[in-house]
Amino acid sequence: MSRPYDSREPIVFVVDDDASICEGICNLLESVGLRAKTFGSTQEFLDNWNEDMPGCLVLDVRLPGITGIEFQEELARSGINIPIIFMTAHGDIPMVRKVMKAGAIEFLTKPFQREELLHGIGQALETDRARRVAWESERSIQTRFQSLTSREREVMNLVTSGMLNKQVAADLCLSEITIKQHRRRVMEKMQADSLADLVRMADKLQRLIQASSNKR
Amino acid sequence: MEYGVRPSAIAGFFVYAALLWTLLFQQGISYPFVFLFFGAVMGSAWFGGTLAGLLSVALSTLAITYFFVPPVFSMSVNRASKSYLVAYAICATAISWVSSSRKRAETRILNSRDQLEERVQERSAEIQRSHEEIVESERQLRLLTEAIPQQIWRAAADGTIEYCNQHLLNYTGRTADRMTGDQFVSVLHGDDREGFSEAWANAVNLAVEFEDECRICGADGHYRWFLIRSIPQFSTNGQIVRWYGTHIDIENRHRAEHALNLAQVELSQQSRTLSMGEMAASIAHELNQPITAVVTHAYACRQWLAADPPNLERASSTAEKIVQESTRASAVVAGVRGLFQGREPTRESADINRLVRSLVQLLRDEAIQRDVIVRTRLDTNLPQTLCDPVQIQQVMLNLAINGMDAIAKTDGPRELLIESAFRDSHEILIRMDEETTTKLFVPFFTTKPHGAGLGLSISRSIIEAHDGKLWATPRMAGGTVFQFTIPVVS
Repeated sequence: MSRPYDSREPIVFVVDDDASICEGICNLLESVGLRAKTFGSTQEFLDNWNEDMPGCLVLDVRLPGITGIEFQEELARSGINIPIIFMTAHGDIPMVRKVMKAGAIEFLTKPFQREELLHGIGQALETDRARRVAWESERSIQTRFQSLTSREREVMNLVTSGMLNKQVAADLCLSEITIKQHRRRVMEKMQADSLADLVRMADKLQRLIQASSNKR
Repeated sequence: MEYGVRPSAIAGFFVYAALLWTLLFQQGISYPFVFLFFGAVMGSAWFGGTLAGLLSVALSTLAITYFFVPPVFSMSVNRASKSYLVAYAICATAISWVSSSRKRAETRILNSRDQLEERVQERSAEIQRSHEEIVESERQLRLLTEAIPQQIWRAAADGTIEYCNQHLLNYTGRTADRMTGDQFVSVLHGDDREGFSEAWANAVNLAVEFEDECRICGADGHYRWFLIRSIPQFSTNGQIVRWYGTHIDIENRHRAEHALNLAQVELSQQSRTLSMGEMAASIAHELNQPITAVVTHAYACRQWLAADPPNLERASSTAEKIVQESTRASAVVAGVRGLFQGREPTRESADINRLVRSLVQLLRDEAIQRDVIVRTRLDTNLPQTLCDPVQIQQVMLNLAINGMDAIAKTDGPRELLIESAFRDSHEILIRMDEETTTKLFVPFFTTKPHGAGLGLSISRSIIEAHDGKLWATPRMAGGTVFQFTIPVVS
């Protein structure tokens, strides 16, 4: 119960205005060794949450002041990507359809089965983990790319576009030996095992640049 | 006093005339005959005024001197005649004065008589005019009272109705003598007469404006509501002279008010009826919360016990939570029971078909929302039932909504048929026939996620409290038929 938590360990955030529901879910999650934090309102949750916390959100549809669905939209607008599991005491089909379309992991009708909840949470945490891994790797590729000199970046761009050393040398008016040296340093700095690996990284970078320019 | 030619002419004329006549009579009379000259002076003073009188005195004196005083035909006078002449002049002057002053007095009298007459004529013309005006204004007033589409009457100071205008007579279809006096109240509705008489007598006593709403019988024998108003007319010394009354037809307003009242009663019934579905949903929600907590705690408890080694401390505290939450759930149930016991059911005579028809109206929106057609097949010869109309309508609404919800989930024909029929000479049977391919009726069972099954069981207990029966049978072609019976008034 009082065992120390690793800050990388995911947390299940439970938001329901009924304290007994929060308590029940928290108890169940702790009994299977999951870490849970409960909140009576969405504001309380936002005040205690930051982007570095891995985890997922178990959200009641009817909350004081704001519906869970409105909160889901609000999170999406602020670019917060935490996976959400909805629960309701009176859900109807259009509502389910709407929240699932907006990216909810699961829609639970109270009272729910243990497996439904745990399966949903497992799925949500896995989604969050995968998203974080992808994000981490993108970030490290970016960091590595930024460590390249401008000449090395040029060489990397041309090489990954499928040109031979000879063609690159001609293009940049350098000797083929110099290109080979640059290319070796690029492979080292980008920690690429092969040319194919480097091409994949270049693709990813391309996508990130595109995504960030789209965002702007 | 007059001056000029006219007095001289008058004096000359009279004196000349007197002279001629005197000369004529002179033959028979030896002594100077002067009476006619007195007459001339009198006439001159009378007709010509003071000046003419004095002139004629002078002229006649000269004439007498010349013609009759010796020596005749000369202006000379002897001593003996002098005193005679002087006496004549004095007498003539006195006569002239008396005559002219008499004349002036008479003229004044005549003048004032003329003035008086003139004034009298003016006055009578005025009186004539004002009389005409009165006649005209009376005519216009009468015209007005007949022209405006208003029923008007007039009453004496003691409140006795003396006059009714043509509109009022036309409306009641009575002659004036059958509307005035004590006869007036006979056109009022029997229930309104006493109130009207009392209020009218009161207004007359206190001399205050009168207002009352009464039903008045028309010529066609139908009563309409009127607002009867009357105001007193006061004389200058503050006494009531008469009363004027008007009738304003407020039948439409009365009908509208009546309809409004009915609508409000209906509305309150409907909102009570509609609230049942909402109530079922909210009861379901209230129950779901503690049940969810119980279920999750129970799972956790099992997990704590299954751990190796079992976490007995957590398992025990979790079991405690389960007890707490179960107690909360049973409190909700107790609350619901209290809610339904709160209202005393009534028993009144009701037309089931009317309930069904108003139900269909009520269902229109719900039916459109679910794309369901609601049809009715009602037996028009149903006797009245003894029931609580609100409760029965709640039952029908609940069954109909359940039925429509079930239909809405299917692809088949979307039609809900509500039938009423007379059964076994003592019951009315209501059938709700839903064309669906689902489910049969079990108490506390529902196909819906938000537990209106409770509504069904409440419905059954309502019907049983009415000594009726509620049951469901599956249809051969699919769907379910809900039926219930209600005893008729014996």
